[in-house]
Amino acid sequence: MAKYILKRIVRSLITVSIVFFVVFMPLRFMPLNGYFPDEMIKETDEATRMTYLRNLGLLDHPLIQLGRFVKNLFRGDLGRSITVYAKVPIATLLVEKIPVTAFLGFWSMLLGIVAGLAMGLMMVRFKDKLGDTLGNGYIMIVRAVPSLIYLFFIQIWVSKWFNLPLVYYDYKPLSWILPIVSLSLSSVAWYALWLRRFMVDEENQDYVKFATVKGLSKKAVLKKHVFRNAIIPLSAYLPSDLLNIISGSLVIETLYAIPGTGGLLTTAIKEQDNPLVQVLVLMYAVVSIFGVFFGDLLLAFVDPRIKLTED
Amino acid sequence: MNRSEHKLCSFPKSLVRNQDLFAPAPFNAAESEKTGASNYSYWKSTLRTFFKSKAVVALVVLVCGIILMSFLYPVFSSVDPTKVSTDRQDWNLRPSLTHLFGTDGLGRDIFARAWYGCRNSFLLAFCIALSDVGIGMIMGALWGYNKKLDPIMIEIYNIMTNVPSTVYLVLLAYIMNTSYLTLFISMASRGWIVEARFFRNRILSIRDSEYNIASQCLGTPMRRIATRNIIPHIINLIIMEAALCIPYSIGSEVFLGFVGVGMPVDAITLGNMVNHGRGSFTLHPYQMLLPAAVLCIITVAFYVIGNKFADASDPRNHV
Amino acid sequence: MKNIIKRTLALALVLVMSTTALFGCSSDTDTYKTYFSTSYSSLNYYATSYATVREIVTNCIDGLVEPDVYGNYVASLAESWTHNDDYTVWTFKIRAGQKWIDHTGAETEYALTAQDFVDGIRYIGDPLNGAYSLRVVRNLISGLYDYYWGLDDIDCGLDTETNRDELVASFSDIVGVKALDEYTVEYTLDSGAPYFLSLIESSMLLLPVEYDYAMELGEDFGVDNEHMLYCGAYYVSEFQRDKLIKLTKNEHYWDAKNVTLSAVEYQMIPDGTTSLEMFQRGEIHYTSVESEAYQALKDGSLGDSLIPNEFSFSTNYLWLDYQGANPEFNTFVQNENFRKALQAAVNRESLGALREPVDPSRLVRNTINAEGAIFNSEGVDYTQLEPLKAVANANYSADPAAARNYMEAAVAELCNEDGTIKGVTAGTVDYLPVIKTEVDGKLPVSLIYVGTDDEDEIILAQLFEAMVEEAIGKDYIDVVLAFDTSGDFYGTVGGSVDGPFNYDIYWDSLSTGYADPSGILTRITSEGVENVGCYNVPEFDALIEKALEADTFDERLNYFAQAEAYLLEGAYMIPVISSLRGYHLSYEVPFTAPRCLYGNIRYKGMQISANPITLEEYNKYEADWEAKKNAAN
Repeated sequence: MAKYILKRIVRSLITVSIVFFVVFMPLRFMPLNGYFPDEMIKETDEATRMTYLRNLGLLDHPLIQLGRFVKNLFRGDLGRSITVYAKVPIATLLVEKIPVTAFLGFWSMLLGIVAGLAMGLMMVRFKDKLGDTLGNGYIMIVRAVPSLIYLFFIQIWVSKWFNLPLVYYDYKPLSWILPIVSLSLSSVAWYALWLRRFMVDEENQDYVKFATVKGLSKKAVLKKHVFRNAIIPLSAYLPSDLLNIISGSLVIETLYAIPGTGGLLTTAIKEQDNPLVQVLVLMYAVVSIFGVFFGDLLLAFVDPRIKLTED
Repeated sequence: MNRSEHKLCSFPKSLVRNQDLFAPAPFNAAESEKTGASNYSYWKSTLRTFFKSKAVVALVVLVCGIILMSFLYPVFSSVDPTKVSTDRQDWNLRPSLTHLFGTDGLGRDIFARAWYGCRNSFLLAFCIALSDVGIGMIMGALWGYNKKLDPIMIEIYNIMTNVPSTVYLVLLAYIMNTSYLTLFISMASRGWIVEARFFRNRILSIRDSEYNIASQCLGTPMRRIATRNIIPHIINLIIMEAALCIPYSIGSEVFLGFVGVGMPVDAITLGNMVNHGRGSFTLHPYQMLLPAAVLCIITVAFYVIGNKFADASDPRNHV
Repeated sequence: MKNIIKRTLALALVLVMSTTALFGCSSDTDTYKTYFSTSYSSLNYYATSYATVREIVTNCIDGLVEPDVYGNYVASLAESWTHNDDYTVWTFKIRAGQKWIDHTGAETEYALTAQDFVDGIRYIGDPLNGAYSLRVVRNLISGLYDYYWGLDDIDCGLDTETNRDELVASFSDIVGVKALDEYTVEYTLDSGAPYFLSLIESSMLLLPVEYDYAMELGEDFGVDNEHMLYCGAYYVSEFQRDKLIKLTKNEHYWDAKNVTLSAVEYQMIPDGTTSLEMFQRGEIHYTSVESEAYQALKDGSLGDSLIPNEFSFSTNYLWLDYQGANPEFNTFVQNENFRKALQAAVNRESLGALREPVDPSRLVRNTINAEGAIFNSEGVDYTQLEPLKAVANANYSADPAAARNYMEAAVAELCNEDGTIKGVTAGTVDYLPVIKTEVDGKLPVSLIYVGTDDEDEIILAQLFEAMVEEAIGKDYIDVVLAFDTSGDFYGTVGGSVDGPFNYDIYWDSLSTGYADPSGILTRITSEGVENVGCYNVPEFDALIEKALEADTFDERLNYFAQAEAYLLEGAYMIPVISSLRGYHLSYEVPFTAPRCLYGNIRYKGMQISANPITLEEYNKYEADWEAKKNAAN
């Protein structure tokens, strides 16, 4: 077991390093002009611009830049943003932005799980009846319609119906409702869909038939036997979900003007903010790869049938 | 307990006891030689189950109609979707008989643009579906059948799904040009690995399923295993995945338009129309609502068709 | 973490409470609430992109002089000033006893002295500090240019003999800015600059800095409100990146009694529709109104309050590429008739109507430098000086047929009978990463318009295509539109730092940054940094040289006017409209805030009304203001 875990950690680290390298190198081949704000290109001559680049260390060989970044990383220095937030330490940015996103993400995750499981249960309880149809309709809309469209309508219309603020304020809790609900919509659908599927599968198992024959009510069978067994495979996704609350949604954070991490990576890539891109990619890769790893561990923990060994 | 069982239980007992109602069947030598298998055809049953629902028939007709219209409209209509009017009177016209969906901020006919947009979005989505599912299936089959490939493919999967696609979208846009091709490459470059993993898992489960092992033990030749045991199960997956790929790729197109990368901005696609209409939504809602409605009808229809087909192709649902 | 717990509690509280509570505008009348739409990167006023931060800095760091409500320069941190006869030496007497304050509004131990102004120049003079947009100031203050490049030569190893520290120590000997005593600063300029006061208003580079403080912080200087010192009417008391900035009144300010608003709150609203909605809900005090929104609002309850924006010193123009890779366009653009055909083909009012639906003609501008910005000693507007006057008052869009005539003349000169262009063969035009296309060497001439992917600019480009093809005729010209989606137009279109720009024609803007035409014109000489189209017009360069060497300011303006007129009559570049954008809605009482000409906003003295100002009220205030202004002058 310990050996397996160690092996997985090493492998995960290798994957993270490769991902990092795959992102790091292409950034060095982007056009040099991309490092300047438009005003700077218009105002300054070429020599001044080259001086500016050299002083940022951008003219060094990519491998030297890589070495410098890794060395600083081990010293705990994430570096400074260059184009998006001129000279602001990236650590400061993350400390400012992650709590906002994580806070909304955490609540939307909880809402997603609770509402999703409730909806899944309802769909199984009323299988092939109205409850099931409604649930399926919801899942269909959320999964088939591009999210931008329904998120936009939620912001414009729902905020009007319930008289909710149009944008997010950290001091107005009412303004947190729409972003949290919007963030949870797809995870509600996801949990409901898979819980229903797993529960329907479990219902055909012999032990369920036995429990029914034993004379348990349908409700009790669903609750005591089917539900408990059906959420085991779902639990593997919990660590991923929990870690991923730090990566916000670009669309939702833009619509509600939330100062979180959502659009940070895309903006950084578009504006060629190399240090920021590197740190974010590294962070997200660690989160996602280790999220899967912790999910496997959790699965082995809750399901005694699973043993963690290399086959 | 389902309804038919209930009926059986309440069958009048007197009737069952009454032996007189039954007549002995005469022995027929020819009949007795027949085996129990019916003339079951997998494809016929799948299609029959699929088309049993009237809603599905309606959706299929609708989708075929939209596809047909989007490819025929540009051929038969003389309205130029890029025709800009220099006369301000033609800008932002509400829907009317001359302009069914109204005109946009430069006097271009939104109805015409919607059909051109459908065509372009469809073409893009079909290409992506073809490449994702095609490459995905081949790679998935190799991956499933070759144990040595497994660790390498898992590593590739982990890397590809963790490198943000915007990185290579921006890079590609820099190297090449923003065109349908960059958009296609950047969307397709990641889709296949996800599909490959999906097919790998399904192929593994089919390979290890009891009927296939039994078939192998009985000495069925490889070709027959492939054509009879595996491919029928894969083909329906392919059709289903391809159908589901279409709403997915239209959705990605809308998203990329929102982010503003990798998309030729003046191209007429449904995604671009929705994104551009969003800006003037409070003032000219029809400019966004109508294209968005067309887009939603398409994505939902394909989603439903994909799922219904998946259900119909499951032999357990065949009657 | 603590943050999360706190917020969680608050959320729980709200969910328990009924959700019918209304949130309106808070009732305090001395907090002005406004918004910004693109994130500001840092508060370091020397090293950040210009426009976004300037508005905040202007109100938090005072310069030597400031404009009053009529736009005249009055004392600010400098109590009085003098200059010599040829405007090359400026001496400012600094207000005594001022202290820098920190982000809590408390006075620090740092006194505000003449040395702080010297140190501002010292800060930007060091290439390692990465100051932006310093060309104008660097070339104006004597010795600064050599100092800057001297340091740079040491940094990149070209000069191994000079000791960097020694050169830095010799700053005050080399560079023409000196603290004569504790409260007197003197600037020595390379050329006479009667416009120096307006440069102080518009350029952040001439603001003071507490050098020890800034050096101690190093790169952390200005990254947020806590790493900065203030000496203006306000200080940044709250700073949530990408969300909110709050300016609070500086109680220690020398002119505190004239600071009317106790706070100014900026929040980030990335979307124009949202800001309009929030203004209607009373959550902000100002919103700009774009052309399309104007149509929807004018019949509503706010219809009376739509106030036309007054002026913009920024000019939109078409840049033509004289060394582009498209052989067809390249052949034609050298021809004056072709350029004039383009000049006549653009319908300026139609373009203006995209931004101002009611009276687009007020956007039309034929000159590069804006009217109302520069005046000679007799008070004559620069754009009304001969021979620029004829250009400024011309109506180039009057006759679309003229475009066709000019084009026919150009075609007669440049094409063979069979429609092939002389000396041009079919080939491929490589403007990657934006576009790659084929040209056939025949009429119609293909013209590749390269634009950004901004939605408004796409619409503008599409309209441009339609009007040019309509006026000149599709048989003669074929406009090809290409848009850069990288989000970094100059970066991509420029290709590489030293490479040529990839376009035939593009839409850009330049703005008159201070009261002298040199700000723009010296940038667009044949060798100028902004001459990305790489034209070569020696006559223009010669006139600029003459202007720079002129003895008097009036003579200087005359030469500049001649130069600008020469460039525009030859249609080497084609100014079209000003960058003015439609309308705004506001609670601000008009003409109570200082009148900043160069795109700044100062809140000192501004008053807020209880209701949105109506156009009627606005006109009354304006008439009042005009009368007082005339009386004062």
